[in-house]
Amino acid sequence: MLNNNLLKYSSSPHIKAPHGTKWIMLNVCIALLPACIMGVIYFGLYALLLLALSVLSAVLAEVIFLLCIGKKFNEIIKSFDFTSCVTGLLMGMTLGTNYPWYSPIFGSFFAIIVVKMLFGGTGKNLVNPAIAGRIFIFISFQSVVAEWVTPTLFTTGEITTGATALVNLLENGLLSISNFNLFFGIGVAGCIGETCKIALLVGAIYLAILKIIDIRYPLIYVAVTGLFTVCLNGFNFEYFLPSILSGGLIIGAFFMATDYVTTPNTKLGNYIYFILLGLITAGLRQATKMEVISFAIMLMNLVIPLLDKFIIPKPFGYKKQREVK
Amino acid sequence: MSIRKAKGYRYGIHIPDMKDLTKDKPIEQFPAPKKVYISLSQHIGAPANACVEVGEYVKKGQLIGKENGVVSANVYSSVCGTIVAIEDIVNDMGQKQKYVVIENDFSNEEILFDNIKDFEPSTLIARIREAGIVGLGGAGFPTAVKLTPKNQLEYLIINGAECEPYLNCDNRLMLERTDDIYKGICYVAKALNITKIIIGIEANKPEAIHAFKCFNDLDVAILKKQYPMGSEKHLIYCTTGRKVPVGKMPFDVGVCVQNIKTMIACYEAIDLNKPLTEGVLTVSGNGVNEPKNLKVPLGTSFNEIVEFCGGAKDNVVKVIAGGPMMGRALIGLNQFTRKTDSGILLLTNTEANTNEPTNCINCAKCANNCPMRLMPMFIEQFTLIGDYKSAEKYGAMNCIECGSCSFNCPARRTLVQSIQTAKAKIKEMKQNAK
Repeated sequence: MLNNNLLKYSSSPHIKAPHGTKWIMLNVCIALLPACIMGVIYFGLYALLLLALSVLSAVLAEVIFLLCIGKKFNEIIKSFDFTSCVTGLLMGMTLGTNYPWYSPIFGSFFAIIVVKMLFGGTGKNLVNPAIAGRIFIFISFQSVVAEWVTPTLFTTGEITTGATALVNLLENGLLSISNFNLFFGIGVAGCIGETCKIALLVGAIYLAILKIIDIRYPLIYVAVTGLFTVCLNGFNFEYFLPSILSGGLIIGAFFMATDYVTTPNTKLGNYIYFILLGLITAGLRQATKMEVISFAIMLMNLVIPLLDKFIIPKPFGYKKQREVK
Repeated sequence: MSIRKAKGYRYGIHIPDMKDLTKDKPIEQFPAPKKVYISLSQHIGAPANACVEVGEYVKKGQLIGKENGVVSANVYSSVCGTIVAIEDIVNDMGQKQKYVVIENDFSNEEILFDNIKDFEPSTLIARIREAGIVGLGGAGFPTAVKLTPKNQLEYLIINGAECEPYLNCDNRLMLERTDDIYKGICYVAKALNITKIIIGIEANKPEAIHAFKCFNDLDVAILKKQYPMGSEKHLIYCTTGRKVPVGKMPFDVGVCVQNIKTMIACYEAIDLNKPLTEGVLTVSGNGVNEPKNLKVPLGTSFNEIVEFCGGAKDNVVKVIAGGPMMGRALIGLNQFTRKTDSGILLLTNTEANTNEPTNCINCAKCANNCPMRLMPMFIEQFTLIGDYKSAEKYGAMNCIECGSCSFNCPARRTLVQSIQTAKAKIKEMKQNAK
């Protein structure tokens, strides 16, 4: 029998696509896992500790903030949507294993509380919290970030620290490391998550298949960065692949720049955003001789409100009627 | 005669169509109920004036509501019996409206129109007006008004898209009453003096497409399965390539769009001399025991219809009049069928949307899927803070309320509801300005 008290009354439409925010964020976490696993294999268990601390402290920061503003604990659990997990994981992946164990905790609390929650929580942040957290750590721990650990797997020798492949590329010209090794991250100094490009690309393809990200935009970003680097180096096309494969361009393009909250809302806006992002990344890299992906993305994040304000698509039927044949 | 694949349009979404529940079920005749409650406002425009009194005896097909002005329509009794009341009842929109309550005596005496004298356009249109025919696709705009445009039209497009999930009544009618639809189309084409006729059918109805192949003067356009293909503007674009300009009507580009059910009503009024007293609707959803396609006298209670279909299951959370994308949720089954009804859906927890809205995550899925290329997230945000001027700037008035934005929203925002509010407020503002 029909129980009128159970009936829900609402505006149309009455059916919805099955997947919500929670599902999307959970899948982003899953897509990041291969790169995390490869990071732990390359850099050892200390990398796992950093990642775990990063994720846990991000979730904790969100829960503490919500408790402070008077939300009930079971409400928080019910509305938990994994966005803080994604933030924590992404930020943890940009750390190196020479960082002190407490650094991700500082970063997470800054990213979640200052950058995300104070602006209104999920979807209201102006810049990507993971990137803001990374920059916070980068500035706070300047003594250690100049050096990066080189993974020992597949190579002989002790754990060494030194400049990343990208910095070598920018300062000294072409690299001694082959593109193949850069692609798989063999013997390449860098942070936990961004060393193994193939694992990141697997995750990106997973997201593209689930239609969570539009793969065209990060590809534009990567291509523009590569080509502009080539231009800046006197049209030497040997710079193309190393400039893409060294540094954090892949994780930045596929996982950080595509964050829903900090991308424009129109197709045209997205094209402009990602092309400008590529130009700024390549230009700043060349000028500063260091990895600037996070700074470039944060800079462009601040341009998005302008892109959304001035690009309004024309409604269907706006154009003048075509001539009848 | 030709069959061709029509082009699609950019954007639009794909929805599981759920039509299998009633796809192969022939239309059944619903037995005349004991009591009917016939609304005097079953169309857009002024409600009809009651022209009968309480206690009067009426036959089936007798006029009980006389049209009130040009944009209005006659209402006829759907059963034979005594009028027991003319009362105000709250309809599904929450408005009080006049209903004529008739107690059936099951004598089945029927009044018909006289045979039509000639088949001149003016006579045909007069008959369609007299029979109280309105656009049966859902809008309920009086058909006779649509058939008297200011300019000469070029195309007559028959809308057989039925892009709403669950609904199957148009599909079944196209299979079972192909010839009647064809005759109806011919009369309407004659009334409009049009020779180019296109019938648009979505690709998921191959049998219906096959059924219409045999008519020589009818072009069949196979439409892509895309929601909302049944939207007038998009149907016109896909079949003729013409874009209806913003704020204009189909007749401005020389096109008239008519619904399948309207064509059958025209045929019955002209050839069988019958006024519009019955509606065809789909009773479906996983919450009903035996989903069916039914032919129901106007004014039948939804309760009786659902009982006829084996009753409702316990876990129903939503009752909807119409399709799930654009229909209206009801607070119970105490409603009565009207001309424009096309379905009663009983949805269970697993099918219906019962999620609470969360924060917008700015994913732009609403904008990327909007068939009108609007930006629903901004319209919603401006509506929530009461800035309706800005909402209008982002195109709120162009919204066709198809629901594509809300359907895809991962944060479950109630975008359509906000846009509806904005539209009402903007209209109010414009009227106040005058």
